[in-house]
Amino acid sequence: MPELRRDPVIGRWVIISKERGKRPSDFVIVQERVRGGYCPLCPGNEHSTPPEVLAYGRKEGAPPNSPGWSLRVVPNKYPALTPNGNLDRRKEGIYDKLNGVGAHEVIIETPKHEETLATMPVEQIELIFRSYRDRMKALSEDDRFQFIIIFKNFGRAAGASLEHSHSQLIALPIVPLTIKQELSGSMRYFELNERCIFCDIIRQERSQNIRIVCENDEFITLSPFAPRSPFEMWCLPKYHSSSYPEISDTQIKSLATLFSETMRRLDKALPKVPYNIMLHTSPIREQNLEYYHWHLEILPKLTMIAGFEWGTGFYINPTPPEESARFLREIDIHKQGTPDSLLSRKEKLIS
Amino acid sequence: MSDSKKKLLVVDDEESIHLLYKEEFEDEGYEVYSAMSGEEALKLFDEIKPDLVVLDINMPGIDGIEVLRQLKQKSPSTPVIISSAYPEYKQDLASWASDDYIVKSFDLTDLKESIKRHLKK
Repeated sequence: MPELRRDPVIGRWVIISKERGKRPSDFVIVQERVRGGYCPLCPGNEHSTPPEVLAYGRKEGAPPNSPGWSLRVVPNKYPALTPNGNLDRRKEGIYDKLNGVGAHEVIIETPKHEETLATMPVEQIELIFRSYRDRMKALSEDDRFQFIIIFKNFGRAAGASLEHSHSQLIALPIVPLTIKQELSGSMRYFELNERCIFCDIIRQERSQNIRIVCENDEFITLSPFAPRSPFEMWCLPKYHSSSYPEISDTQIKSLATLFSETMRRLDKALPKVPYNIMLHTSPIREQNLEYYHWHLEILPKLTMIAGFEWGTGFYINPTPPEESARFLREIDIHKQGTPDSLLSRKEKLIS
Repeated sequence: MSDSKKKLLVVDDEESIHLLYKEEFEDEGYEVYSAMSGEEALKLFDEIKPDLVVLDINMPGIDGIEVLRQLKQKSPSTPVIISSAYPEYKQDLASWASDDYIVKSFDLTDLKESIKRHLKK
């Protein structure tokens, strides 16, 4: 019998169709044809991007927007929101509107066109997390912005149009509904229990030990109890922190190590699976919250969002998180080639 | 036809666009070549070596984004202006390789100005 599960933070329900219990080998992942050709994000093509707002790795004295970088952050050439102007919040009868002011930036995660989060060295992932912190801190100075979302789309099915590894940042003049739901759910739990719900989730997961994918001293990756997607994972600090920009250099090193392992496990289980990653952190003007906990959500794109999901906010997930965590945990990421459990994997190759 | 005329390659799968652009751009003094598909555009590009390309995105076969990346690989300095009915391809970071992105309209003022600007560079 399927099982209904409720996410303890925001109360979202999911249907876990337990009897289907899809294994990694049961998912058909369409392998995308690489388009190739000129890449505007590659070194040497810096003139194709707007002037950078941050870059690491160039030799001292090298001019900005020249090759030799390890990571670049540039404004989006065609931003969803514009950085200039004031908000001018206004009413139109019962309706609310304001000017589309915000910052939209692209983090070019590596100079190597073919590299992915699953293949790049840990030191490169460290740079990515450092750039997230540095840009969040810089944009937090702008008092028009209330919230900064960082997200990554990997693979066309997940919304990535260019294969060169990149993530995006959008500074918003409002706190989005999803974050408000997490904040109010966490606050409600805190009022009742005087503890952070995410800290309690980590405590229970470590004691049950059935949904943990991997962990180190400071961070943990787990399959959440009520996941929206098969192989959904959350990566959280084990220490309490509501605000990502407060992360230290040492903590970034530790996060990068665990995150790299997480992505290598996912890629080994489901090679080149499209996914979305979102960084959830507290709003800019609400730092050091006792009841909230920043975290990364990793959502592989393996199921369709259709009428039922849109109509109800429910998700149907054919893989119980206990099974997906076990698959991911048991995979030997150091072993070459395809794991035995995946040999029957069906692939549709599009040439 | 005078040698000093700048050569434009228009890539679009709609005949009506070719008729309109040809007439309007020839009036501006350009020599206009037409390609009805991405494949034809890549072939014609090598033959005529245009000074500028006006490129649609949504086409059967090789789409405009792929054509753009291949053209820029061949000749990074040749300006390519995307002329698409759909603004949402701006979300495609590969479109950054283009020199401008103009949403299609029967008023060609913006497109003509962009062509002029990029040919002067």
